[in-house]
Amino acid sequence: MWWERWRIAVMLAPTLLIIVVLFFGSLGYGFIQSLGYQPNIGNYSISLDAYSTVMFSERYSEQFWRGLRLTFFVSLASTAIAAGLAIACALLLRQTFVGKRVATFLFQLNLPVPHLVIAIGIIFLFSNSGLLARAAAQMGWISAPSDFPVLVRDTEGISIILAYLWKEIPFFGIIVLAILQSVGEDYEDLARSLGANGWQRFRYVILPLIMPGLLSSSIIVFAFTFGTYEVPKLLGVRFPEMLPVMALEFFLNPDLNARAEGMALSMIIAVIVLALVVVYMWISDRAIRQT
Amino acid sequence: MSRVKRILFYAAVVGVVLALVLPIITFFINAFAFRWFYPQFVPNEWSLQAWERIGLIPREGQRTLEGWWRLLSSGSDVINALGTSLALGGLVTVLSVIIGLPAARALGLYRFRFKRLVEFMILAPTIVPVIAFVLGLNINFIRWGFSGTLLGVAVVHLVPVMPYVVLTLSGVFANYNPEFEEQARTLGAGPLRTFWYITLPSIFPGLVVAALFAFLVSWSQYLLTFLIGAGRVITIPMLLFAQASGGNNAVTAAMSLIFIAPAVLTLLLSARYLSGEASAVGGFGRI
Amino acid sequence: MARKWMLLVLVALLLLPMAVSAQETMDDMAPPPGFASWDAVLEEARGQTVNWYMWGGSDSINEFVDTFYGEPLLEEYGITLNRVPLADTVDAVNQVLSESEAGVGPGEGTIDLIWINGENFFTMRQAELLYGPWAQNIPNSMYVDWENPAVALDFGRPVDGYESPWSSAQFNFIYDTARMSAEDLPRSYAELTEWAIANPGRFTYIAPGPGAFLGTRFVKQIFFEVSGGQEQWVGEFNQELYDQWAPVVWELLNAWEPYLWRQGETYPASEAELHELFANGEVDFDFTNLPSGASTFIETGQIPPTSQAFTFETNMIGDFNYVAIPYNAPNVAAALVLANLMLRPDLQAAQVQPANGFGLGYGIDVSTVSEEEFIAAIEEAALNMGAGAAPAADLAASLVSDIAAEYQALIEADWEANVLRR
Repeated sequence: MWWERWRIAVMLAPTLLIIVVLFFGSLGYGFIQSLGYQPNIGNYSISLDAYSTVMFSERYSEQFWRGLRLTFFVSLASTAIAAGLAIACALLLRQTFVGKRVATFLFQLNLPVPHLVIAIGIIFLFSNSGLLARAAAQMGWISAPSDFPVLVRDTEGISIILAYLWKEIPFFGIIVLAILQSVGEDYEDLARSLGANGWQRFRYVILPLIMPGLLSSSIIVFAFTFGTYEVPKLLGVRFPEMLPVMALEFFLNPDLNARAEGMALSMIIAVIVLALVVVYMWISDRAIRQT
Repeated sequence: MSRVKRILFYAAVVGVVLALVLPIITFFINAFAFRWFYPQFVPNEWSLQAWERIGLIPREGQRTLEGWWRLLSSGSDVINALGTSLALGGLVTVLSVIIGLPAARALGLYRFRFKRLVEFMILAPTIVPVIAFVLGLNINFIRWGFSGTLLGVAVVHLVPVMPYVVLTLSGVFANYNPEFEEQARTLGAGPLRTFWYITLPSIFPGLVVAALFAFLVSWSQYLLTFLIGAGRVITIPMLLFAQASGGNNAVTAAMSLIFIAPAVLTLLLSARYLSGEASAVGGFGRI
Repeated sequence: MARKWMLLVLVALLLLPMAVSAQETMDDMAPPPGFASWDAVLEEARGQTVNWYMWGGSDSINEFVDTFYGEPLLEEYGITLNRVPLADTVDAVNQVLSESEAGVGPGEGTIDLIWINGENFFTMRQAELLYGPWAQNIPNSMYVDWENPAVALDFGRPVDGYESPWSSAQFNFIYDTARMSAEDLPRSYAELTEWAIANPGRFTYIAPGPGAFLGTRFVKQIFFEVSGGQEQWVGEFNQELYDQWAPVVWELLNAWEPYLWRQGETYPASEAELHELFANGEVDFDFTNLPSGASTFIETGQIPPTSQAFTFETNMIGDFNYVAIPYNAPNVAAALVLANLMLRPDLQAAQVQPANGFGLGYGIDVSTVSEEEFIAAIEEAALNMGAGAAPAADLAASLVSDIAAEYQALIEADWEANVLRR
């Protein structure tokens, strides 16, 4: 009925207003600005100059491509390693044992802790004069901070990956745990009675069960790690620099012309994330159907 | 399980858990250590200096009732920022629930045309990074005069918050029977009474989870507050980020503990509502 | 009787020039624009609130301001101080800029006073966003050495009375007396090069770049040394001069790389990061901009108590920082009184002592102070500079002024291209 449809529209309106105006509006506005259209400084023409400057100019191209590679590497590595380790942790924690409640609580402790704080903790822990280096010194394994492997503010983004692991392992972990608990062990018992060994039970029973949840949460994690600013800003080096950090630096540059480049970079980040999500969903759809 | 297997199992559990909480432990050491330089493993000197510096503990000799009172009423930067962060989180929570509740009900209870599109639009901010839309937002907010105000920042925080609130609540409404409301109405209850006595109790656990995530996502926002707050809305993450990139470790650690305390507390208090709410757990990816 | 008259006349004649000269100094100083006299300023300021927007990243500085200015302002002048902390001074500049774009007129703005220098001052001056000129029209400006180019030029550009100095800073190094002795310290970049080669991995410098101006300053000083002196760099920006010496500097810095901390693969990004490397014994030299040298950081526990500051023989850049009043300040009178108060010699003596939390140097020229009580305060301050400060004579002897602001961005970008990403 017509009034029913209007009622639904009214109910949805406030939320959609926020999302459409603030989110899609800003994305669109950012896109227009990335094309160099800045009426407030009298620029009405449209061009792809900002994109070509960022990607191909002599000044920025190396920074951009190295940055893109690093961003990809960090996001993929963090997502994959975190998901893998989280499955192992979940399989461990779903057993029945004394102290399970305490262990599960501590396992989840990092969930509400902001990424920013974990990044600081990673510095305290892994830097060349951090807690682990000091422990190594006490043991006599190293004699000076420079003997400890460079893990923080390194050029490969190791500390950034570490920070994401510490945050995302519990994240994936509780999702997997929740799925395993809701399904129970009936399927596994069945498989066991049919003579499946441990690996087979994992591969053909557990993995297909947790796969949908794992895939959708890894989209969230991948997109998040691809676009966060705080963690790579605190743990990264000046060169190569991850794309979000580079984008914000362009944007904060007092030179108004650099804004278009900042916008272009943020659009590139958005497009890459969206494209990957689409590809990922397509692959995961097929993967789920096949298993 | 055999004995050896058991020992190995416990070793693995303890190892995993210890490794995960180790960063948090370093905050407790750093916040109370003084001149804790390499290669000291355990600090040689302990001190409350960091806490004095951020204005949460009076200096030595002033730790009387009056000293505490003077300190807390003087409003150090950290106390002010704590107030701003709490006010902001509260505002975002209330706004997001009021705005999201009808939308969640529509998505949970009804089928309509373009439903998939609406769902996709509401979920989009969970995938697209903040950096991609905040730059465009920044300019328009300055133009509209919202930038630098608490309300302006709160409205912007709604963008990453709304998807989780709507998602969680629509899950609740999907298992909700609106016929009870009809019955209450036919028995003469007004819309407010119906909401209070019928709707609210049945959606309450979901509401708590949604509110929790709204608060936590807002609480941990740095970039949005930084770019929209224009230096005038100073929250704890703003202070902490500045401190972490240019300050002393003890103060950074003390501030970090302040920053995570309310987050861990809210999680503890609402943990019993959280179990089985897998859809909302996605919100943790945003913190 | 006649002799008595004679004496009186004589005394009067002797006193007259003094009275005239006293009259003259009062008259000499024209009141700030918009006011009939300094007394009129004081009168109008009573009961006003001064909104001071300043970088608020240091709790100890905030506390210093509230105690040392907030209390006398209220007690002696009836003015309330409202300190507004900023994450970055550029936020205040943007605020005034948007107010001006929105057509906010004089007296209708929000900001009364801004702690400012360099690029931000220049931006505001260019856009005509400042009230003035007033800095030489407040009583305590008589303690300011306006002849000193380091005061009268802010990053090489004339101040023209649109900002009044508050404090000063100067680049100096820190070493640990427990690790090395004073005789082994390098006293020039040439000696530093030798030292770094002899002690591989034990030295690094802050990466020049936004938010790390000490790193830029460190590199700027190399330009001075290799080009044979700072004098030729004073004045307008000179591209030719820069192009002549830049390759020499990049060559030197690249030659250092194998001997630097982490072989120059990366550099500390901030002052705090370098303090930490120094404190944990990863490198042997630390940088600071505070005339109190190591003292302030010893107090906060950031570096070992055995640390001590030192300078090279020359080319240690020093500069002043200032306060300015926006064109639309609602409480100009109160802002003027505060700017004047900040120059009072006893409060200047308070700001240089590390224990008070501010720890930057004098904004005034202490040799112009003649009042006994003020001299006593300055002498006392000299005793309280902390053991970690470099000798005052060394600081003075090595002092050079900073140069045109254009060099800064250029050096930062070129260093990144030629040294970091090479």
